[in-house]
Amino acid sequence: MYSFLQRTIQTSKIRQISRFSLFLQKLQTTSSRLSHNILVSNDSYSYGFHQRSIIVSPNQFRYFGSESVSLTLEGIIANNWNILDEDDGDWKSHAAAVAQSIDLIKRRLQWKKLKVRLDLLSAQLSKPDLWDDPVHAGKISREHGSLLGKVKEVNALEQELIEHIDMIKLAREENDEELESESLKALLNMRRNAKEKELEALLSGEHDYCSCYIEVQAGAGGTESMDWASMVMQMYKSWAQRRGYKVIVMEEMPGELAGIKRATIKVDGEFAFGYAKAEIGVHRLVRISPFDSNKRRHTSFAAVAVIPILGDGSTRVQINESDLRIERFRSGGPGGQHANTTDSAVRIIHIPTGITATSQNERSQHMNKASALAVLQSRLDQMEMARQAQLNAQHTQSLTDITWGSQIRSYVLHPYRMVKDLRTNYEVSDPDSVLEGDIDAFILSYLSASLDKGENNG
Amino acid sequence: MKLSLSSVYTPYSFPIILKSYAFSNLCKPFCSSALSSSPPISLKPQVPLFLRPPIYSTKFCDFKKWHDWAKGIASSIGSTFVNSDNGPDSSILCRELKWLMEDAVEDHSLFSKMGFENYDERVKMRVGIEELYDLWKERIEKRRPFQYVVGCEHWRDLVLSVQEGVLIPRPETELIVDFVCDVVSKNEDLKRGVWADLGTGSGALAIGIGGASGIGGRVIATDINPVSVAVAAYNVQRYCLQDKIEVREGSWFEPLKDIEGKLAGLVSNPPYIPSKEISGLQAEVGRHEPRVALDGGIDGMDYLFHLCDGAALFLKPGGYFAFETNGEQQCRALVDYMKNKRSESLCNFEIVADFAGIQRFVIGFHH
Ligand SMILES: C[S@@+](CC[C@H](N)C(=O)[O-])C[C@H]1O[C@@H](n2cnc3c(N)ncnc32)[C@H](O)[C@@H]1O
Repeated sequence: MYSFLQRTIQTSKIRQISRFSLFLQKLQTTSSRLSHNILVSNDSYSYGFHQRSIIVSPNQFRYFGSESVSLTLEGIIANNWNILDEDDGDWKSHAAAVAQSIDLIKRRLQWKKLKVRLDLLSAQLSKPDLWDDPVHAGKISREHGSLLGKVKEVNALEQELIEHIDMIKLAREENDEELESESLKALLNMRRNAKEKELEALLSGEHDYCSCYIEVQAGAGGTESMDWASMVMQMYKSWAQRRGYKVIVMEEMPGELAGIKRATIKVDGEFAFGYAKAEIGVHRLVRISPFDSNKRRHTSFAAVAVIPILGDGSTRVQINESDLRIERFRSGGPGGQHANTTDSAVRIIHIPTGITATSQNERSQHMNKASALAVLQSRLDQMEMARQAQLNAQHTQSLTDITWGSQIRSYVLHPYRMVKDLRTNYEVSDPDSVLEGDIDAFILSYLSASLDKGENNG
Repeated sequence: MKLSLSSVYTPYSFPIILKSYAFSNLCKPFCSSALSSSPPISLKPQVPLFLRPPIYSTKFCDFKKWHDWAKGIASSIGSTFVNSDNGPDSSILCRELKWLMEDAVEDHSLFSKMGFENYDERVKMRVGIEELYDLWKERIEKRRPFQYVVGCEHWRDLVLSVQEGVLIPRPETELIVDFVCDVVSKNEDLKRGVWADLGTGSGALAIGIGGASGIGGRVIATDINPVSVAVAAYNVQRYCLQDKIEVREGSWFEPLKDIEGKLAGLVSNPPYIPSKEISGLQAEVGRHEPRVALDGGIDGMDYLFHLCDGAALFLKPGGYFAFETNGEQQCRALVDYMKNKRSESLCNFEIVADFAGIQRFVIGFHH
């Protein structure tokens, strides 16, 4: 995602620079009354262009152009210009649309918190003893780099918007139609770009890019809810496959008659966690149970947890082999040469935390151990992240409840047909397609709702 | 998780496995220099099912019919076998059925379509549909071990070829490879030296330590049973380790005369079941696995004692050994024996439990 952003910024930068020299030419031909101000603005621009490693918020500098009005993002938004369709919008409409997008992107990035965090990280980076702990230092500097990148991108967007507006105003003043239509085109282009970036900003959480585990557990209610749990699991398997993710079943405890008591799949691919995290919580089903001979209506529950698989070693909890107890389960008797079995399930217990993980579907004990260990690692990482999140309010929002607590969505098959998300009130009337994995709309509406209400723009 | 394996057929029609992650440094693309260092194979080892070419084709509905039939039988077993001799229950049999299908069928995406009825496609298989019926019947009615049915056992990250006449490697035994990895990672001398796996069976331990432990020296694997020798050599060749692992036929230390006192390490899982218990074994074991791989004499200790005596002679100073036993009693008896009779040469004994919590292994060093 970022390489894409970077690229568009690169090209827009080049465009700006060539347009900028045009701009200077124009200015040179305008009245000498402005000559003093030209120098000022020239300085500001070159500061912005050539020293991008220093953060300059575009709304910190003012442009004393042909109008002595200072433009800022807030200013544009406050104007409340009418936003029309792309096709029949004038420049004010485009500008207002872009401003709105930037504003939304900032909210999605949690702008204020992000800036606070960035300051904190910068302060830590300047400590002389930072690299005494290289793992920690690496983590700090990676995060700093990533946040700084985001801040620069947004600032560049704001700056670009303001430049376009200035250019248009100038062109109008000069009655330069060619420049005006060129600038208008550029602004419209920017409007479309900014719209795309709104979506991308939905997945800007620290771990959103990661692969993940999805765990589903049946609620109380026996076979009926175990069947529901397996339907939910199937929904995620199909969803993941549709998105082109690789799906691997890690563990599965089948129900006695049907369905599953609990299962874990690994969903492998970019942004799997960013999307799937929207599914955390309890899912409720209302239907005529196929397991009830009296054809009564039943309500069942299944809980869903989603755990990111952290790619880089930095956030990983170090597991000491000596802290592990590894058990073979379902074993009895003397074992060894006495027994022939194809069951080599293992359970790994992390003694200091009591957290456990099991694996039973591999064909060798060694592989079961390896895959249980991978699950355990992710659970411990997850716990560590939650702990850090508590220490550091910045992250709490994205990581709040991995618990089985809250009900998030309800699927009704009878007496009417509907799936409704209780957090966003988003609903559809076709449960079948949802259960076949068509859940992107639910995910996106939740992600935007949860981020967009977040904070007031900073 | 499916291992990513790709098979290549040599002119000798021995399928060679190229594992994408393990042993990549040791693996040559073709190993047609068949078994240079091993005795000529008099017995031709069987090719595991999953490596046979998919030359059979069946209608999907026939395949599904077979599957439903097989599943029905598996389910009907319930806990009958568990109650009679601690054999497999339905859930284990159902999982075996799934693996049998994975090994027999070329295209695994098929399995997600098992629910559909009128799916008219052909299924490419590595075995004919009639044989599939026979195989599953043997599994259930004769209690033929699943691993013999599919001709392989997944052990650690290896897929070892096995067949009647060769012991199916046990999950417990995997741990010995971990012990060896541990000790050689701390000791350059052991890493560079010559190792031996006595009573190698399918070659599991020899291949495990030869491939995974970073042992730089050679590994010699011995067995008295010619079928084992052939199968072990075949497995060594499949993993392209024939330059490193040498399979020799003979009784325990007898084929090692040339390296007496020079061994850096010695591992073995000798037969250790007391003779009188053989008749009461689980059907898969008692009726199908070779007695020569199981029967350890009156109290099961005959070969373990012999191995201790040999370790005293054949290990070099500082050398390491690890033996698998029947459990706590044998572990203790072995350690007592070594403390009393072999303490002038062996030391630092340790008893280690397996994952079921049973004291299973005795490890130690030469002075
Ligand atoms: C329990 S099996 C172990 C096989 C293999 N090491 C494993 O762990 O899977 C014991 C092996 O010892 C071999 N064996 C029995 N008597 C032997 C002897 N006198 N000399 C060498 N090997 C012998 C058997 O043929 C059998 O392969």
